[in-house]
Amino acid sequence: MTTNPHVSLLSRRTLLRGASSGFGYLAFAGMSTWAAEKSGGPLAPRTTHLPARAKRVIFLCMEGGPSHVDTFDHKPKLASDDGQAVGRGRAAGAKLLGSPWKFRQYGESGVWVSDLFPEVGRHADKLCVVNSMHTDIPAHPQAFVQMHTGIFQFPRPSLGAWTLYGLGTENDNLPGFVTLCPPVNNGGPANYGSAFLPAIYQGTRVGYNNMPVANAVVSNLRNPKQSVSAQRAQLDFVQELNHQALERDQVNPAVEGVIESYELAFRMQGELPKVMDLKGESEATKQLYGIDESETDDFGRQCLLARRFVEAGVRFVEVCHGGWDQHRNLKEDHAKHALAVDKPIAGLLSDLKTRGLLDDTLVIWGGEFGRTPYGQFGNGRDHNNKGYSIWMAGGGVKGGLTYGRTDDYGAEAVENPVHVHDWHATILHLLGLDHERLTFRYAGRDIRLTDVKGKVVKGILA
Amino acid sequence: MRLVPLSLGLLCVGLGVCLGQENAAEKRQRNPERAFQIGDADLDGRLSREEYRALTAYAPRLKASPQMAERIFTRLDTNRDGFLTRAEYAKIVELRPLMPGPNAPSPAKKARKAAPTAKADAPNTPEQVAFFESKIRPALVAKCYKCHAATAEKIKGGLVLDTRAGIRKGGDTGPAVVPGDLKESLLIQAIRHTDDALKMPPKEKLSDAVIADFERWVKMGAPDPRDGKAATVNKDIDVEKGRQFWAFQPPHKATPPAPKDKTWARTDIDRFLLTRVEAKGLKPVDDADKHTLLRRIYFDLIGLPPTPEEIEAFVGDSSPTAFENVVDKLLESPRFGERWGRHWLDVARFGETSGKQVNFNYPHAWRYRDYVIAAFNADKPYDRFVKEQIAGDLMPAASDKQRAEQIVATGFLAIGPKSHVERDPLQFELDLVDEQIDATSQAFLGLTVACARCHDHKLDPIAQQDYYAFAGIFRSTETCFGTIPLIQNNNSSVLIPLPKDSGQRPGMEPLSPGARKELQAQINDLRKTRTTLLKEGKLQGSPQGNFTGVRLATLLARLDLFEENGTPKKLAMGVRERSKPEDSPLYQRGEVDKPEGTVPRGVVRVVSRSAPHISQGSGRLELADWLASRENPLVARVLVNRVWLHLFGQGLVPTPDNFGAAGQPPSHPELFDHLAVSFMDQKWSVKSLIRQLVLSHAYQLGSRYDAKGFEADPDNVLLWRMTPRRLEGEALRDAMLAVSGQLVLSPPPGSPVSRFGEGPSQVLQRAGAFDARLNCRSVFLPVIRNSYLESLSLFDFPDPGMIVSERATTTVPAQGLYLLNNPFVIRQSERIAEQLLAKPDGDSTRILLAYVRIVNRPPSDRERKAVEGFLASYPSAASGESSRSTKDAWTAFCQALFASADFLYRN
Repeated sequence: MTTNPHVSLLSRRTLLRGASSGFGYLAFAGMSTWAAEKSGGPLAPRTTHLPARAKRVIFLCMEGGPSHVDTFDHKPKLASDDGQAVGRGRAAGAKLLGSPWKFRQYGESGVWVSDLFPEVGRHADKLCVVNSMHTDIPAHPQAFVQMHTGIFQFPRPSLGAWTLYGLGTENDNLPGFVTLCPPVNNGGPANYGSAFLPAIYQGTRVGYNNMPVANAVVSNLRNPKQSVSAQRAQLDFVQELNHQALERDQVNPAVEGVIESYELAFRMQGELPKVMDLKGESEATKQLYGIDESETDDFGRQCLLARRFVEAGVRFVEVCHGGWDQHRNLKEDHAKHALAVDKPIAGLLSDLKTRGLLDDTLVIWGGEFGRTPYGQFGNGRDHNNKGYSIWMAGGGVKGGLTYGRTDDYGAEAVENPVHVHDWHATILHLLGLDHERLTFRYAGRDIRLTDVKGKVVKGILA
Repeated sequence: MRLVPLSLGLLCVGLGVCLGQENAAEKRQRNPERAFQIGDADLDGRLSREEYRALTAYAPRLKASPQMAERIFTRLDTNRDGFLTRAEYAKIVELRPLMPGPNAPSPAKKARKAAPTAKADAPNTPEQVAFFESKIRPALVAKCYKCHAATAEKIKGGLVLDTRAGIRKGGDTGPAVVPGDLKESLLIQAIRHTDDALKMPPKEKLSDAVIADFERWVKMGAPDPRDGKAATVNKDIDVEKGRQFWAFQPPHKATPPAPKDKTWARTDIDRFLLTRVEAKGLKPVDDADKHTLLRRIYFDLIGLPPTPEEIEAFVGDSSPTAFENVVDKLLESPRFGERWGRHWLDVARFGETSGKQVNFNYPHAWRYRDYVIAAFNADKPYDRFVKEQIAGDLMPAASDKQRAEQIVATGFLAIGPKSHVERDPLQFELDLVDEQIDATSQAFLGLTVACARCHDHKLDPIAQQDYYAFAGIFRSTETCFGTIPLIQNNNSSVLIPLPKDSGQRPGMEPLSPGARKELQAQINDLRKTRTTLLKEGKLQGSPQGNFTGVRLATLLARLDLFEENGTPKKLAMGVRERSKPEDSPLYQRGEVDKPEGTVPRGVVRVVSRSAPHISQGSGRLELADWLASRENPLVARVLVNRVWLHLFGQGLVPTPDNFGAAGQPPSHPELFDHLAVSFMDQKWSVKSLIRQLVLSHAYQLGSRYDAKGFEADPDNVLLWRMTPRRLEGEALRDAMLAVSGQLVLSPPPGSPVSRFGEGPSQVLQRAGAFDARLNCRSVFLPVIRNSYLESLSLFDFPDPGMIVSERATTTVPAQGLYLLNNPFVIRQSERIAEQLLAKPDGDSTRILLAYVRIVNRPPSDRERKAVEGFLASYPSAASGESSRSTKDAWTAFCQALFASADFLYRN
């Protein structure tokens, strides 16, 4: 009865324990619940469809649409034709705008990176830059939701929720999907929601993008009145009552579920603040991420938190830096945003590498679309969904690779185009999940992240 | 002046730039009204020359030619006052030829359609035939016939390639091959794999050599020696065969069977159920004890717990009608409608903001909520309730009050989630209609008709044609959902003013003269800022410009909510007839640029043979009559199933939102039909139906585990016991407030959303935590799409964009964290502790009272011992003062009861 999943955190072991008292196992066998189909409960680690190249994901989400032609898509012709009228279609009369930044080749691979990202540039040999991304709609709300859920027309589970559904979690004391500082608009919670998937797969939100992550709190994590020992005493009492109820009922999976979930809740409130407390990190590490420097502090903290979360076994972590929407003042504002994230990202990549985590952690950088090669209001750029860049690093992707190509100006993907669906299919593939087999039956259909589309981009797999 | 039309087109199109959006539909987006709204920077209802010039900045060619721009201005300014009024500006469309509308095929399309017939095939030369036989036919056979030949198991996309006629005629998307024209030959496009939407063969690209062969073949005129007619792909749904499905058969009243046990059954329902239980060799468990039963009926009927006095009265009442009396009392309580109205609001996907990508407030949606609650309280016959929601505006009304009520009822069609950001008006309209079809068909029929938007329903006998027949009715209807034109809102509409003596609540305090003055002053300041920004060229595209624009528009809208004298206007979301009803084309694959013919307005054929005749008007009234008629085999069944579900824990049809092939058949078909027929016989009275169900013996069973029952029927499909259920978020929150004595029963005026007014919902969302700030019943809390109230959403409040008959029940740690740590829960626990300690009772009485108030029964001896142990050993949180720590301990105890499974579940 997948339309009404009575999901509880019952582990198979708990149920089998119950079996000794007589009928627990029958209860288990008879429970027509989705939970029962997954041995070990809904969050237990699962066997993957394919060999997994990455075990976890950090998504560096750049909300607003960072300009590809000013960051990772080097367009010499755009620079040389600066000021020329494009003269066609909607852009009639609009003039090409050469990038105000110089591009350089980095590392042994010679990947082109602009002067907006000098620190990230140093990691060029780890980056797999895809310059031929495209998406359906050049408007933030639709494109942002599509980037997260595959389609924007209907409520659908987010990428993180699908990942958690497919892989389960490795730490029972923490949520499996954490999103830091997501935007309130552009779909809001839909971007980390579980839609029709059981609620347990939805992202746990920490903060919002309009306030510093240092001030963010997870709701209900701390009791405003009781000490921990007082609360433990209270919880023991609650559990005593629940156990009495269970004994009275003999078999009651629902009550067992409540008992289990309270224990997890108690562990989570102990564990989550610890993971979120940066005090134990060395000064050197903090410096590496740019923490305590005013420009980079916020995103630095987000990146460091992301590392701490994945290290602790969280499956999918998303961090967010918004504001890349430069219809005007490209030069000042893109510089400001790039400055805010460049060092923290570079720090994250170094740190993951040092700790041996990069090999099986997939790091993704990107926004909902790119920007036009022609100018807008003289000193800005408009949205461009037909061609833009993202990059990936770590688990299972070829480092030092530049994949796909836009035309000479960066207007449109022309070689090896990669649609958002393809990108999703590839991310799942790297995690060992076949995007055509990772389905959930809803409203009579087996629904998947990639709808009826998506192709794994084989060319970027290591 | 040849250039003028083009430039003017751009003047309108270019406006998309300021919003930074464009899409494929921009060609249709030449909307002078929209341009006017954007151009009118100071919102004085006219375009000054300066504003006009600013607007031309978006049309590059006009910008490059100021002289032409000035000429156009002069031509439009017919009264020569130096300003363009809305009407004057609207004439701009007349200065250019009409753009091809969605229904007029573009010249290119015409050519494509004409091509295959226009050019007669020249006879094939032997070389050409040889080429076909050696290169083309083998490739077609090997790579294409599996899906595109008469022999295919299932022909895909309506395309057959095994005859010349078939390949020329093509499939759903157009001719596969146009001789000599590579560009127009979809087959060539498909095999090149350049178009994402059209890649054939789908999994592997043909080799370059084979592709080159096909290209050469098309260029040489696609010589094709094959004969035979194109097989007509039979896509017609067999409606007659479809009607054989159980759900489309009219329900018949069956004679209740005679179970072996002659004494157990009290009603016909029991006879049906017991026979099945007996057949499985089982026996129903013992009856629920009186405490359990009373708690059950209170939560089930009014969503609140019984008070200690009510418990005492019932437990002490040994008359045979004790339970019946309680039931009748609860059915008459105004709390009943608040409980059962909420069930309907789940189905009606009730929400007070638009949801979707950009979330706008619907400040008047609450009227529909109040309508639903009142309808359940008044026991409005369900057939009438259905009709009013579809066509209340068209039904006769005896008074203004009734007319207003019926208009508000049609809010059902207007409150759905919408993509206001959509830039293509036709796309918006079709999406809106789609949402209405989805809601109507699922809510009243339990069918997913919306599946047939792009293709015939994959599982149910519902053709795409049925969908567009339905769509024609809603497309001939004007949906009035409100909202104001703003950045990212490209679709707004009027609202419906309610008649004078509507008797409707105002929903807001009046606007005092002082407040009006203040509002006016703010508006004036913003106008000035806007003018300054305009002069500096910073109005469009800058955050400050956007902010000013939004703020100004929302304040103006706020002002507009009141009459001159400050009384709030009474407006409703709803629908009304369009002046000219029109049938809808069928859109191939649901794509707006692929209209085909027209489908006469009508209803889903498979549901019943009595299709209404729609001659004039939209057909909504006919639709409403058809939906709510006895001839309709679904409408009563779907409702009966939902009522059953809310009382027994699962529907007789376990898939309450899907009565089609993807759903499951009823567990007790005869009982189900029996109930559906008697429901209609009892004048569609929901209260009578509920009364009938809860007075059955089956409803009053205990929920205890039974080894034999569990073994044979673990899911309790046969109802050998009552299924225990977790209470909903609303019931939990309301119960906590009720027990602590903080619950405010009188409904608050309107909704917080109405006080926030029109505009983006972010401000409302930031205000947040209405569930902790307000002490009203949860049904009156604002339903903000994409941003839910914690106390409700944690306990599976449904997505208010989806039609939900049955909520999920999840058990997640976040619920534990909420119950253990949330200040709201602690506050209610504290109140109870204070009240318990204020009386001179001994601890023993206090423990009893806490138990009776919170879990509605006395504690067992073991529980009492556990409580005493807890209170004695509970660590004092604050050092020192003993009264403080006593209160802390009692607070912790009450909170623990709220967190216990006994509180969370109703057995």
